[in-house]
Amino acid sequence: MAEEKHEESLSDEAEWSDDGVSSENEKAEESDSSEDEVAPRNTVGDIPLVEWHKDEEHIGYDIKGKKLKKQPRKDKLASFLEGADDPKNWRKIYDEYNDEEVELTRDDIRLIQRLISGRTPHAEVNPYEDYVDWFEYEDKGHPLSNAPEPKRRFIPSKWEAKKVAALVRKIRAGLIKAPDKPKEEEANYYLLWGDDTNSAENKKRINYIPAPKLKLPGHEESYNPSVEYIPTEEEINSYQLMYEEDRPKFIPRRYLSLRSVPAYDKSVKEMFDRCLDQYLCPRTRKKRINIDPESLKPKLPSRKDLRPYPTTCYLEYRGHAGPVNCISVDPSGQWLASGSTDGTTRMWEIETGRCLKVWEIGEAARQISWNPVADRPILAVVLEYDVLLLNSGMGDIDIQTKTKELLHVGAPGATEDAGDSKSAVSWMQHEKHDGIRIKHFKAVSSIEWHSKGDYFTTVVPSGDSRAVLVHQLSKKNSDKPFRKLPGIPVTAVFHPSKKIFFVATKRFVQVYDLSKGQRIKKLETGVREISSISVHPGGDNLIVGSKEGKMCWFDLDLSTRPYKTLKAHSKDITRVTFHRTYPLFASASDDCTAYVFHSTVYSDLNQNPLIVPLEILRGHKAEHGRGVLDCKYHPRQPWLFTAGADSTIKLYCH
Amino acid sequence: MPPKHYRPAGKKKEGNAAKYITRTKAIKYLQVSLRVFRKLCILKGIFPRVPKKKFEGNHKTYYSTKDINFLLHEPLLEKLRQRRAHEKKVKRAKARKNKELAERLLNRMPGYKLDTLILERYPTFIDAIRDMDDCLTMVHLFASLPAVEGERIQVNRIHKCRRLSHEWQAYICRTHSLRKTFISVKGVYYQAEVQGQKITWLTPHALQQVLTQDVDFNIMLTFLEFYEALLGFVNFKLYHSINVKYPPILDSRLEALAAELYALFRYVATGSARKPVETQTSGLIEEKKDTEEKMDPSVDESELRLAQLQHQLPSNEPGTLMQLLEDSNTNDDDDDEDPDTKECRTLFKSLKFFLSREVPREALLFIIPAFGGVVSWEGEGAPFKETDEDIAYQIVDRPTQGHKFLSRHYVQPQWVFDCINARIILPTDAYLVGMVPPPHLSPFVDDEAEGYVPEYGETIKRLQTAAKKNVMPLPDLGNQDIADPQSLLAQGIIDRTQANEAAEERRKLLLLEKQYHDELKKEMSGTTYSSSLSNKNSENTGSDEMQHQDEDMVPVSTEKDDEDNRAKLYMSRKKKGLFEAMEISNQRKKSKVELLKERKRKAESSKTG
Repeated sequence: MAEEKHEESLSDEAEWSDDGVSSENEKAEESDSSEDEVAPRNTVGDIPLVEWHKDEEHIGYDIKGKKLKKQPRKDKLASFLEGADDPKNWRKIYDEYNDEEVELTRDDIRLIQRLISGRTPHAEVNPYEDYVDWFEYEDKGHPLSNAPEPKRRFIPSKWEAKKVAALVRKIRAGLIKAPDKPKEEEANYYLLWGDDTNSAENKKRINYIPAPKLKLPGHEESYNPSVEYIPTEEEINSYQLMYEEDRPKFIPRRYLSLRSVPAYDKSVKEMFDRCLDQYLCPRTRKKRINIDPESLKPKLPSRKDLRPYPTTCYLEYRGHAGPVNCISVDPSGQWLASGSTDGTTRMWEIETGRCLKVWEIGEAARQISWNPVADRPILAVVLEYDVLLLNSGMGDIDIQTKTKELLHVGAPGATEDAGDSKSAVSWMQHEKHDGIRIKHFKAVSSIEWHSKGDYFTTVVPSGDSRAVLVHQLSKKNSDKPFRKLPGIPVTAVFHPSKKIFFVATKRFVQVYDLSKGQRIKKLETGVREISSISVHPGGDNLIVGSKEGKMCWFDLDLSTRPYKTLKAHSKDITRVTFHRTYPLFASASDDCTAYVFHSTVYSDLNQNPLIVPLEILRGHKAEHGRGVLDCKYHPRQPWLFTAGADSTIKLYCH
Repeated sequence: MPPKHYRPAGKKKEGNAAKYITRTKAIKYLQVSLRVFRKLCILKGIFPRVPKKKFEGNHKTYYSTKDINFLLHEPLLEKLRQRRAHEKKVKRAKARKNKELAERLLNRMPGYKLDTLILERYPTFIDAIRDMDDCLTMVHLFASLPAVEGERIQVNRIHKCRRLSHEWQAYICRTHSLRKTFISVKGVYYQAEVQGQKITWLTPHALQQVLTQDVDFNIMLTFLEFYEALLGFVNFKLYHSINVKYPPILDSRLEALAAELYALFRYVATGSARKPVETQTSGLIEEKKDTEEKMDPSVDESELRLAQLQHQLPSNEPGTLMQLLEDSNTNDDDDDEDPDTKECRTLFKSLKFFLSREVPREALLFIIPAFGGVVSWEGEGAPFKETDEDIAYQIVDRPTQGHKFLSRHYVQPQWVFDCINARIILPTDAYLVGMVPPPHLSPFVDDEAEGYVPEYGETIKRLQTAAKKNVMPLPDLGNQDIADPQSLLAQGIIDRTQANEAAEERRKLLLLEKQYHDELKKEMSGTTYSSSLSNKNSENTGSDEMQHQDEDMVPVSTEKDDEDNRAKLYMSRKKKGLFEAMEISNQRKKSKVELLKERKRKAESSKTG
């Protein structure tokens, strides 16, 4: 094979060179055809000669198109004999193409031998020549190639991917068997909790709240509870009327033996609910207080030590035909005056309950007040627009003459006051009851005497700048002390000893110094609407009652905020009042109760006043949503008078 | 110092908005679906919180930001994502009808383990034990569900639950740590004490359970997944502590007979180094028993005899007997055992029980050995037959019993439970076959707090004290009770509330008596009734002392009311609210007790009338 190939390559070369020297072909024709370098004569090209020209007489054509005749064939025997004689016969080869015999030279043979043994054809070629480095890289500082790393070094190989894909395809097709199935997952338990408790301490989750445990079953959950745990038929029926949430979830039933107990149909549902609770319910730590409720009650001083105070109803004054709006006790403590919506004002003897006097005024009395000085038995009654100053007719002749003198108004024109209040108030004589009638320009709400008994103040809530008026009885004139008031006034009170004046607006109590004519303080009550105020006889404390049932105690030296707020009543407080001598105060309310409180005010400024609720007085009946309308203390005794909407007045004694 | 509003760079918020995160935001933050989030929360034990201020609205669920970050760094999250991706592949394969591929993929689902989670949630073993209640209840519930192919719950999970629950019961039984049992309508409650922790669980009655439609089983199964792992590890630790190999290898014959529990008992008994005597006296393992008896026959025999003696003479010198028993106990078993366990271990000591067919076998097979008894049942694989002469009690739950052995008591199953709760062997008269047993009472009720003790509870208490003090139970506690409630209280026969009631009654009686004496005196002195009344009136206005007396005459209720009102007036609003709430709850409790008493009275009157 190798020989043939060689031949072919030789012939190819010959042909190729033949084209190159076509002009010399004629000369070469004559020359020796056996010469290697000379082109072959035959021009048929590379065709299977043996096949195609088997039966022909020629083997091809020369360059001029002449047929080349086949040489006469020697028979086998002759050629053998010829070869046997010739010692060079082994190096002769028959060239089929040119139809001639070629003798290989020594070089040819050597070349062939080298080729066969896999070496280079020519012996002079050195395959292991010394490497000559043509580049100088010493002292150059750069690598041979400065090109950046190519991208292909970083991306997965495409070729490998293809190979893997082919593998995958084979695996999927089932040609390559996948390893057998993963074994049935067996839980391999081991000793999870070692003994290292210290390290466990560190691992403890902060802020973790464990789920609360389920409630343990009680007797009623038993399959065979005692009879008292089983609800009766009516009770079970009554559950149907309850709201869904209130209905008991579990109705106890009794089974007479264990074998008759059925499967509980809600067990899966209850477990599910528990699961939901565990992962959906927010958890917080709740402090459960486990104390006796009695311990929450404040330690109050015993009531026995705080006696006397009014406790029981002792007398009832009857006679009024309508709700008794107001009451007042005279400074001597003998007489009680009351005003009612039935248009009368009455005077009672306290000890006996006898009605001494009745004034038929014809208008509802809103407020009534005795003059605080004993030798001026004058009664001030507030009607709608008027204030009446009436002579009660008590006392000896001396006092009576003086009183009558006092209650005499001269010419109506002369009493007119100068200034702005000219039109506000007019003093005039009341003919019918022999007193003074002070006519106001708008409705009057309250009246309050000064402790000296000469001055008194009236409040006209809608009076704007003339809302608070101060009247002087001896001179029969009226004055308006304030040019402007912050808000609508409710009541106004004089300080018992100092020249200080309190005006209650809806939510605040303004404290004015009358001598300087300026505001000293503003007390913030924090209630919605003040209904009445009362000043402690000492003058440093004040209580305020509100329409929401709250009562505020102010210590004027302490703060402008209440020292204590008491929520006593469920309805409006109509009146709060201090006792003049005893450490008592009281509140009356529309919820038909009156509260009696003890209040000790200490002369030591560091000690806070002691307030103790003492007694709840009941007895009045509600009428048209109103209960107790007024309450007043007796000036000397620890007795309380209350006036009710049920047209009675009650006296509570100790 | 930086100003108050200063916030360091990179810190975005502070206050509630930084501490808490709403659920929707948490899900977005974690980039998971709600379902995966739920699963994570369940497995990690994360629950919503209540921020002080609900900054995003009242109706939202808030989680602690720390908890959510805790979830974010959880390797399980990544595992779950992988699973999700894998599920998608399976789905795709199924959609392409490539069944084979789907199956192959399903087999290669990435798995995860919960051991790290368990250790994280319960760093110490005690923590895990403390939280076993829900775990056990859940596993026992699933163990009782129908193991049917094609239901929503896989059969192998139910079997696993069964196995785990039996393993737990075997441990409890072996260590005699069961304390209380209670048959309720919902199932049987058990309370055990393991390492000082009280664990209560509920097993449903062994009947076909109903799978309701309104339950999301995915959630329950997620919980179950965690509980299975937890119970497995806890069981391992517990078995390890008593030197038994875990997981146990069971006797295949007994397993086939569905007596796994018994098989487990035998495994635990034989596997442990300390061999309990009582489980090995069973008939199946005769040879062992023989060898055992040969080894120390004297102790065993004496013990047996003592126990028999004690049983025959229930109230005759138990103190000395107890002492003797204790002596023998110290010989053969551990000395460091606490007295409670000892009491439980010896309750049914050397008593043989036999269960009839109709009796709930699993529960009784669990509790009787737990209290030291030996038990057998009707059926194959039972340790001894019904004809065994030594059987002391046969548990029967049928209307009539045909053939009766004279040597044994025939009792209803409730007797066993009541005995266990009372810790004494009760007289069997009330529990005989065909009778309606006495009421079954819950051992979990604190009588003191409840304020009411059912009648049978008192009977049991009396029996207990009798057994303790060697005092014969009084036939009827009548007027003597009222006479001196304090002494009875000291004895522990009646509780405090009753004592108070009795004292009240006594006071009233005394008052009446006094009044009677006063009137007698007046009659003697000759004053008429009307004059005495007028006397009172005159006294009224008089001295203070008399008024004080008068005040006592005011109806008690209004005075008390006023007193309350007065006190309330002075309380702060917060305290007032608290006080009122307490009053309401007390009132409710009282009315409940009143209702019970009323019902009881009615029932009694109807019975007699």
